[in-house]
Amino acid sequence: TATRAQSGLLEPAGSAGVAVLATGGVASSPGPGRPGPLQDETLGVASVPSQWRAVQGIREETKSCQTVSIATANASAQARNHVDAQVQTEAPVPVSVQPLSQYDVPRLAAFLRRVEAMVIRELNKNWQSHAFDGFEVNWTEQQQMVSCLYTLGYPPAQAQGLHVTGISWNSTGSVVACAYGRLDHGDWSTLKSFVCAWNVDRRGLSPRQPSAVVEVPSAVLCLAFHPTQPSHVAGGLYSGEVLVWDLSRPEDPLLWRTGLTDDTHTDPVSQVVWLPEPGHSHRFQVLSVATDGKVLLWRGVGAGQLQLTEGFALVMQQLPRSTKLKKHPRGETEVGATAVAFSSFDPRLFILGTEGGFPLKCSLAAGEAALTRMPSSVPLRAPAQLTFSPHGGPIYAVSCSPFHRNLFLSAGTDGHVHLYSMLQAPPLISLQLSLKYLFAVRWSPVRPLVFAAASGEGDVQLFDLQKSSQKPTVLIKQTQDESPVYCLEFNSQQTQLLAAGDAQGTVKVWQLSTEFTEQGPREAEDLDRLAAEVAT
Amino acid sequence: MTAEVEETLKRIQSHKGVIGTMVVNAEGIPIRTTLDNSTTVQYAGLLHHLTMKAKSTVRDIDPQNDLTFLRIRSKKHEIMVAPDKEYLLIVIQNPCE
Repeated sequence: TATRAQSGLLEPAGSAGVAVLATGGVASSPGPGRPGPLQDETLGVASVPSQWRAVQGIREETKSCQTVSIATANASAQARNHVDAQVQTEAPVPVSVQPLSQYDVPRLAAFLRRVEAMVIRELNKNWQSHAFDGFEVNWTEQQQMVSCLYTLGYPPAQAQGLHVTGISWNSTGSVVACAYGRLDHGDWSTLKSFVCAWNVDRRGLSPRQPSAVVEVPSAVLCLAFHPTQPSHVAGGLYSGEVLVWDLSRPEDPLLWRTGLTDDTHTDPVSQVVWLPEPGHSHRFQVLSVATDGKVLLWRGVGAGQLQLTEGFALVMQQLPRSTKLKKHPRGETEVGATAVAFSSFDPRLFILGTEGGFPLKCSLAAGEAALTRMPSSVPLRAPAQLTFSPHGGPIYAVSCSPFHRNLFLSAGTDGHVHLYSMLQAPPLISLQLSLKYLFAVRWSPVRPLVFAAASGEGDVQLFDLQKSSQKPTVLIKQTQDESPVYCLEFNSQQTQLLAAGDAQGTVKVWQLSTEFTEQGPREAEDLDRLAAEVAT
Repeated sequence: MTAEVEETLKRIQSHKGVIGTMVVNAEGIPIRTTLDNSTTVQYAGLLHHLTMKAKSTVRDIDPQNDLTFLRIRSKKHEIMVAPDKEYLLIVIQNPCE
C-alpha cells in the first residue's frame, strides 16, 4: 500500500509498464511540500502474458447429413378377367389282352398264313447266324481304370486310433455313413465313438469334415441305413444295444434305443439289418445278431423305445446234423452269430454266419422253441434249417446273390471265400483270397458274376467269375501299411461307386471301371450254370 | 379256324430260342400272347409305335417302298416284328451266341 504515497520517488525506478497502469485515481497532490492524504485504492489487475504457453482451444465444426427422403408411390392393379379351369385325372383303364371275337378269326388266320413262313425263316437264320458274334456297342463313356474318388476321415476319431467298423450307403445313394469302433481289443466299452456321414453328391464336400457326426457312448460295430428313409440309420454297439439315429436332426439325433434290459444282447452286436414288417410293407423293423447266439427283431414303439417283437436263439444241439461239425455239443452251448444276410427272393429266408465257421440256413417262420435259459420277454425259437460245411475259422461276412435265389458267399478268418448253393452243404467253389483274415464280402448289385472282398492285408479284391475263377480281376490297395480293410459296400443307386473302410479310420470311395457296372450279354445264364453244378 | 391259329402260334413258339410270341391288332392291343399280361402290354404298346414310325420312315424315303419286317437286336435278345395292315406278329428270340 505504500505504492502511491511516494509517487514522485517511484517513477524513475524504471517502471514504465507499471506506470501505464497506475491509474491516476488520486491526483490530488496539490504540490510539493504539502503531503497528500493516504488513501486506499485498488489498481487494475496486472497480467503478464506467457510467452511460451499457448492456450489449447478446442476447434469445433458442426456438420450434419441427411439422407434423401424415401420416395414412395402408390399404384394398384386389378385383374379384371379370370378363367376357371379344372383338371381331373382318371385312373388309367388297365389294358389287357383282348379275347378274340368271332369275326376276327378268319382274318387272323389269313394273316398268320401270310407271315408264318417268313418268320420261321428269320428265326432259323438267327439261330445259325454268327453275324453279331463279339459285336458290342458302348453307349456310355468307358472308364478303364479303378480310381479313388474320395478319401474321407474324421480326425478326432482317427486321433483316438479308432477303426472304421461299419459302412452303409443310404437309400438315395448320395450319403455314405461310417461307424467308428475297435475290432481287435477286448474291453473298449468306455470308449466314446462316432458315427459320421458324408454327402458325396454335394459340391462342397470336405473330406475331413463330415456333414453329420453323432457321438456314441460305446463303440459302434455295425451300421445300416433305412431302406426308404434317407436319414435314418441303425447301429449295433459293443454294449449289445441297438440304436437308431436320424441324421437330419443334428441337435438330438437319437430316435430309438433298446436300452439295457433283459432282452438286449449280452455280447457285442455283430450286424444289424432293416426288414419290412410283414403286412405293412412301408414300415420296417430292425434285426440284430450278436455273438451271444441270439437273433432279435425290434420295432420302435412309444417314446424312443425299441421293443422286442420276435427272437431266435442258436443252440448247439438244435442245429441240423447235415454236416459233421468238429465240436461236440455239451449242454446248451450257444452258437455265436457273426453275420447275417437275407435272401432277395424269399423275405423270410436268411443265412447266418457263425463263430464256428459254418453258415446256417434259417427261416423267420421257424416254429420250434429254442432250448435256452436266456431270459426274454418273447419266446425264443430255433431258426436253423440246414447247416453248411464249415470254414477253417469263424465267418465274418455272408452275402446272398441278388440274381440267383440259391447262391450265397461267405468269408472268414481262414482267408477263404466259399460260394454255396442253398441246396447242398458243401460249397460249390472255395477260393483262397488272402493269407490273413477276410473281413467282408459283397455281391455286386448289377453284375451277377462279380463280388468284392476286403482282406486283412489292406486290399479290396474284385472278382469276376466270368473272367477268371482263380485270381481276382482287380486288386485295389487301400492302405499303404497293410492295415486291414474292415468293411465295404456297393452303392446300388450309383453303381460305379464302392466304399471301403479300414483300420486307419479312413473311408475310401472307389470309382469302378465300366466293366464292373454293366451286365455282359450272357451273365445271367452263366450264373445259372454255376448254380446248377450242384453235386448230385 | 381257331385251331389253325393256335397251331401256327405254337409252331412259332416252339422254335429254338423263342422266349415269347404275341399278336397285336391295328390299335396296339394284344390279342394273343404267350407271356404274362404286363410284359405283353408293354411290348405291344412300344413296338406298335416303333413299327408305325419305321413304316413311315421307309415310305418317306421312297413312296414306292414299304416296310416288310422289323428286327431289333439288343444285348440280351432279338425282337422280330412282322407287320401287316391289321395285325402285328411279335416274336422275341434269344439267339445262339
